[in-house]
Amino acid sequence: MFHEYKNVIEDGDTVIVYLNHNSMSPLKVEAGQVYNNRFGTFKHDDMIGLKYGSKVVNKDGRGFVFLLHPTPALWTQVVPHRTQILYLPDISFISLYLDLRPGKVMIESGTGSGSFSHSIARTIAPTGHLYTFEYHEIRAQTAKKEFIEHNLTSVVTIEHRDVIANGFGKANIADAVFLDLPAPWDAVAAAKAALRKDTIGRICCFSPCIEQVQRTALALDEHGFSDIRMYESLAKDYEIRNVPQPDIDEVIDGQRVSFKPVKNDKKKRKLENGSAGSGTDTDANGSTIKELTVTKPTDVVRGHTSYLTFAILAPEEGDDVDMSE
Amino acid sequence: MDAEPAAAAAAVVAGPAQLERTVIKAGDHVIIRMPSSNTKIVCIRADSTVSLGKFGSFNANALIGRTFGHTFTIVQNGQIEPHHQAGFDAADITSANNQTIVDDPKSQKLSFEEIEGLKKQSLLGAVSSEEIISSLTENNEAFAQKTEFSKSKYIRRKQSKFNKSFVPLETTAYNLCEFFFEVNAQKTRGVRTDTLAQMLALANVYAGARVLCVDDGQGLVVGALLSRIAGGCVLGVHDGDVANYDVLRYINEPTEGRLRTLAWNKLNHQQPAFAEPELAADASENDVLGRARRLRGHQKLADTLAEVRQGNFDALVVSTKYAARKVVIRLLPYLGLSRMVVVYDQCREPLTEVYAWMRDSHAFVNVQLTEGWLREYQVLPSRTHPTMSTSGGGGFLLSAIYVGGGGV
Repeated sequence: MFHEYKNVIEDGDTVIVYLNHNSMSPLKVEAGQVYNNRFGTFKHDDMIGLKYGSKVVNKDGRGFVFLLHPTPALWTQVVPHRTQILYLPDISFISLYLDLRPGKVMIESGTGSGSFSHSIARTIAPTGHLYTFEYHEIRAQTAKKEFIEHNLTSVVTIEHRDVIANGFGKANIADAVFLDLPAPWDAVAAAKAALRKDTIGRICCFSPCIEQVQRTALALDEHGFSDIRMYESLAKDYEIRNVPQPDIDEVIDGQRVSFKPVKNDKKKRKLENGSAGSGTDTDANGSTIKELTVTKPTDVVRGHTSYLTFAILAPEEGDDVDMSE
Repeated sequence: MDAEPAAAAAAVVAGPAQLERTVIKAGDHVIIRMPSSNTKIVCIRADSTVSLGKFGSFNANALIGRTFGHTFTIVQNGQIEPHHQAGFDAADITSANNQTIVDDPKSQKLSFEEIEGLKKQSLLGAVSSEEIISSLTENNEAFAQKTEFSKSKYIRRKQSKFNKSFVPLETTAYNLCEFFFEVNAQKTRGVRTDTLAQMLALANVYAGARVLCVDDGQGLVVGALLSRIAGGCVLGVHDGDVANYDVLRYINEPTEGRLRTLAWNKLNHQQPAFAEPELAADASENDVLGRARRLRGHQKLADTLAEVRQGNFDALVVSTKYAARKVVIRLLPYLGLSRMVVVYDQCREPLTEVYAWMRDSHAFVNVQLTEGWLREYQVLPSRTHPTMSTSGGGGFLLSAIYVGGGGV
């Protein structure tokens, strides 16, 4: 489901119900069930057999929603928050930096709400494996239930475990370790034990405060990690609008100008003519309005999530390395 | 959670198969990070010499069989030695300050010629970089007055000049992207690491995915997609007769079976059957080889066209110098429903046009225009802060979920 696409919705699938940009929710499709939202009532039976991406209309034929295929990115937008979660700019940057690819073995702690876990699983499947650890028992159980529902158990193993107290119980297996813990420095030794020693190992520590970064960096340094680098990765969203650009000469000449944007149906017609975007149009009085399509950052953006502290664990290289090749 | 539910227990794997250990092989491309933090890509050919300019040179054979990520120092006769990277210094806040330090070139008692002499000896391996740096600090009258932090910074600056240690880095998608962004951003259309990462995440690339891609940035995007694909494929639609994916040659992994390419002028091509007659029994070897080559080319195009026309691709990823809206329109018929369209550009305006069109079309939902915002920090004990200079922009991404229907 989350680590590969299918085309048709089947009984038991998880779909993402899309109402609009700001409103999406996950839905487990089950024969005989009914789904209600502010756009109306939808029968699950009507969904089964449809293609993913289909638009379904409610019982009285007025409201509609789209049934989207679940992806880790969409899951991040709809996952029930049990903790602060990771978002796409962090998830994607960490995944690329840690060189996650099919076949990689990764350790994550804590699991939290499982937002990142879904993405890791998708990236390393089908031959890799994610061991994820969560010290909060109920959160671990909830995440486990989700992994089972989302068919991820062949790629993800979750364990309820306090890794600060007990370590990961793994040695020499991981290509990468991700620590999202209040005191990541206390887990650095365990991370070192879990990382492979025969090839390069990579670690990322995710901490909101600079003081945590300081302590983590010292611990990484003490334990022989190198190439300690730290980043913030965020993204700005842009919104788009059409802005009328009347000509001041018309005002100088004594005419009235309109600042009203061109109506939507006119825009639709322009679309059909294949000329969306900036252009000119005529308003009701027949005067010419110049319009510009502009974008601006949204008024409020996520300004901080966490600092991403990366380091590598270089393989042991002594004079005893066999150099004959 | 000690008692595993039966369903989950059955699915738990005994232990993961690890990927093969990566060592540097003859013929590999390696990114070398030098003491100055500058990087260069070199091909490690057996029996050749790798030159790092003013930092010296070494025998490529000495690196073959070694692992990536370790620090090595060039010693005498082109040999290298594993070198333990110095950890953090313990510099702390002291009462020293720069109140009485006056900028004076005469504070360094070593002459230019003496320093050049030390550098020459260092290249020959007769003097270590530590020895040069300590003679520089001993002969610098202002050094003792500096704060601990300032002394540490002075030493780090000198190390970046006189050290002869380097780190061989794997040509991963991240490292290649960072390399080209620093060295020649125009080659890869200015895509920064965070933006490339977001493209892969938004496009939902996974091992078995079939991805339709337009990459006019010399193959960095294609290469990054391929790094996430095992079993699936990337189909690159390109300008000219042959795809110019120069970046792929730096990736030490074969692309066979995972990459197909199609020229734009073949997109609507109706391919006739192979028409060359069978050759006579006494045909020359050249004629036989030529016919076989043309038959292979014909078959390859037929296979690629069949792959494209099968449609139902899992993602459409575009970084193009053409007007992007038309590029998307021409390839959309081959994309599956509820799949992602991701369009990259270094500038916002070309994407604004596509954004306006997608917003007003009924064929897309969740249309988003975003700009990555990446900031690197220096991390040192008590001296953590954002780097003084940073990249002003790493490109823009337009993404949407394709749901089909009218309007396109």
